Amino acid sequence: MAQIELKSLSKSFKTGKVLDRLNLTVEQGEIVCIFGPSGAGKTVLLRLIAGIEEPDEGAIYLEGRDVTDAAPETRGVGIAFQNFALFPHMTAFDNIGSALTARGASASTIKAKVEKVAAMLKISHVLSHAPRALSNGQKQRTALARALAADPKIVLLDDPLRNVDAKLRYEMRLELPPLLRASGATVLYVTQDYKEAMAIGDRIAVLIGGRFEQVATPAAIYRAPASVGVARLFGDPTINLIPVKPRATDAGAACEISGATVPLGGAHPESAGRAVLLGLRPESLIVAGEPGADRFPVDVVAVTPLNEKSVLLMRTHDGREIFASEAEVENEPRQPGPAFARFDPARALMFDEASGARIGGRA
Amino acid sequence: MTSSTVAVPVRRRKKTHLLPYLLSLPALLVCIGILIPFVTSVYYSMMRYRLNLPSLKGFIWFGNYKEFLTDSEFWNTVRVSMEYTALTVGVELVLGLVIALLLRKQSRFNNLASILLLLPLMTAPALASLMWKLMTNPNFGVLSYLVQLMGVKNFQWASSPNSALFTVVLVDVWVYTPFIMILLLAGLRSLPTQPFEAAALDGVPRRFVFFRITLPMLTPYIITAALFRLLDAIQQFDIIYPMTQGGPGDTLLVFQVRAYLEFYQYTNVGRSAALLMILWAITFALSNVFIKQWLKLRERARGLA
Amino acid sequence: MEHTSFAERILRGALIAAILAFFLFPILWIFLMSFQTNEEVLRIPPSLFFKPTMINYASLITGKLQTAAGSLDLAFMLNLWNSVLLSTLSVAVSLLLGVPAAYAFARFKFPGSEDIAFTLLSFRFAPPLLVLLPLSLYYQAIGLTDTYIGLIWVYQLIALPLILWIVRGYFEDISPDIEYAYRIAGHSWLQTFMRIAIPLARPGIAAAGLLAFIFCWNNFVFALILASADKQPVTVGALAFVTASGIQYGQIAAAIVLSITPTLALALYAQRYLVEGLSLGAVKG
Repeated sequence: MAQIELKSLSKSFKTGKVLDRLNLTVEQGEIVCIFGPSGAGKTVLLRLIAGIEEPDEGAIYLEGRDVTDAAPETRGVGIAFQNFALFPHMTAFDNIGSALTARGASASTIKAKVEKVAAMLKISHVLSHAPRALSNGQKQRTALARALAADPKIVLLDDPLRNVDAKLRYEMRLELPPLLRASGATVLYVTQDYKEAMAIGDRIAVLIGGRFEQVATPAAIYRAPASVGVARLFGDPTINLIPVKPRATDAGAACEISGATVPLGGAHPESAGRAVLLGLRPESLIVAGEPGADRFPVDVVAVTPLNEKSVLLMRTHDGREIFASEAEVENEPRQPGPAFARFDPARALMFDEASGARIGGRA
Repeated sequence: MTSSTVAVPVRRRKKTHLLPYLLSLPALLVCIGILIPFVTSVYYSMMRYRLNLPSLKGFIWFGNYKEFLTDSEFWNTVRVSMEYTALTVGVELVLGLVIALLLRKQSRFNNLASILLLLPLMTAPALASLMWKLMTNPNFGVLSYLVQLMGVKNFQWASSPNSALFTVVLVDVWVYTPFIMILLLAGLRSLPTQPFEAAALDGVPRRFVFFRITLPMLTPYIITAALFRLLDAIQQFDIIYPMTQGGPGDTLLVFQVRAYLEFYQYTNVGRSAALLMILWAITFALSNVFIKQWLKLRERARGLA
Repeated sequence: MEHTSFAERILRGALIAAILAFFLFPILWIFLMSFQTNEEVLRIPPSLFFKPTMINYASLITGKLQTAAGSLDLAFMLNLWNSVLLSTLSVAVSLLLGVPAAYAFARFKFPGSEDIAFTLLSFRFAPPLLVLLPLSLYYQAIGLTDTYIGLIWVYQLIALPLILWIVRGYFEDISPDIEYAYRIAGHSWLQTFMRIAIPLARPGIAAAGLLAFIFCWNNFVFALILASADKQPVTVGALAFVTASGIQYGQIAAAIVLSITPTLALALYAQRYLVEGLSLGAVKG
């Protein structure tokens, strides 16, 4: 039985339609990241599931139960808001225990559970403080503790790491997944940071323009994005998209880039004769000094050394700017100037230029 | 019920929530409780209706209003009300501003002073009127005595047509200036400090700072305070009635006092209602301006908070 | 830094002193007068130094006045009690009715909400006699004249708009997510209202209640029209006091002192709330 099921969920505001007939199924114990650009409707989706907003259309099932018309307090979910939303007039302890008091648990049970989850999140020492006395990181962890304290089956996390400093963010990214898995809950995790989505989620649901463009594992999304939109959202620097029109050759296909003919081999037969966007991730471009049959000429305009890697801004002969990233070689720093770029056609992605959908290739 | 057996969901109707209506039911009742007498007043204002001559009761549409146009007593009421309003609001604004400027800096003394200055505002205007009536009593009133010391003989205060207006205006100023002071003081203290610091650094003369920086920034508060007082002053009753019941003669027959007397002394319900409708029209127009202004001010305060 | 010259500081001090004198003198004077016998009151020139006496307060409190002509009954204590009763009950009722309504206006945008809010607010600025005079006729017809219930209902016209206008702002200032968090945790709407919304809006509720109490206590014209002798609060009672024959000035002063002391004391005790309420939240004090 799926823990969370969304059927044809729609929601509009005065500004327009925000969610358009969404469907999603989440199995028990899964952590699904809802990822998308800001304003995509991720928070609205979470609020629909929690019961704070009402959908215009569709149904929501939690643990197999139709909760579409159910009041929030009957849905039995745990939620952590982006802005924490802690109760300012209660101590951290009382904040965390609020779901337990609602269920009428005994004082000793409340004490035990609150202390357990506080220990897990390392805030035991601030339990008696009021929210205004807590640092941002402590507030965030208190909000998380409050979501988890009553062992809810379903947990909704709305970008909990957004308002937290970078160091703590990295720490939490490592600590959260095992914490969530240990609780055994089914988790919907909203985030705007693709790295976070890839680190935390078993699956990622990419929300663009009110629809789920792709719902898959992080690896699948990265290597086989369903569309240009999805591909653009993952990867830093963003994927290069070069419009080409491959033609069929004896060896398969070939295309013109920067004035040179680059063979594609048998990698993308279905792209022959179509206007496509060739998707090349920066790390899949190899920049060499000498020309060759499998490469195209570029002009390396700028080099940004980032210690772990170098990002090269390059220009093709028709003026297009593309990025490549390569590992830094200590004694041979890359210099700007003319060079040649090549790639493994099997790793390249093809997108239909008109619709943006990915064509064929590896699954 | 498992989800997989459910057909495609249909478009939902908007659920009507009862709760908000239940909660605001009392407010609605009070609203109705206001509207019913109000409509009655409108109705009566268009009738010839005297309580002691019930047989003559009948519709005369705008007859009462037309009578007012040629009634010298009506214009006297208008004139006295306007004079009262202009004098009280004018004096209170200036005095309130002066006090707010004097007490602007946060200091223990200034805070204590502004708290003490709240007290006149907390006295019931009717009781304040009584207090001043006692103080201006020709036989033993301390103010009569003081005025005599200063060489003014036989100052009759509220008993003389020449000084009655002055006396009630004085009471009004005493009661309500603190209100202006509070608003302007809060306004002054909420002004951003950078323009003033910059002016001080540039050596700008203080008069310039006051007229070109302070005053313009304070304008919304001044307008709000002025409108508030205007609305109260034009319908003043509590101060004038205990003091002289509108006298001596007709010197202090402002709108509500006259309406009251028309109703109780002359039992002329129709005329009383018509007079009040005219007053209402004035206050309604003014209050619309006020509410817009006040909402603007609140938004600004929210933005800063 | 401001350079205030010595002369300027003297001028400033003199001005403030004069202003304080003007505004505080009447209260002080009445206070002194209440401890004077009639002879001392009538003495010219009036003097700051005299032997104080409690006779005025005594006769007010016991309700009996001994004069040369005999003994008179004073009903002033009844007036005081009426003021206490009417103000307290009116504020209690208005809070009970107004706070939930303020919440509804703050949280739910439902059709008609702005109209009701506007009507109630515009009444605050409309001439009271417009409503009171017809109301007195209606009251006579349905027998509500000179009843506590009738007066408390009319006093709602003073208190309720105040409560709505002030408390609504405070509810609006609470982030809705805090209430949502409490509900999702498993609490009903009512529990959320009682344990989250009201505690967090408490300063506003206190300010509104305080202000409403003071306005009700200081009210004159409502009681003048709708109450008869035994239900009159102090504002009307004091006036009747003055025009009655045989009352002595010291007693009038004592009556006034007793009438204004509650509101003055409240003001001193809770002046922070007062300032915020008076500016109706227009300025964050």
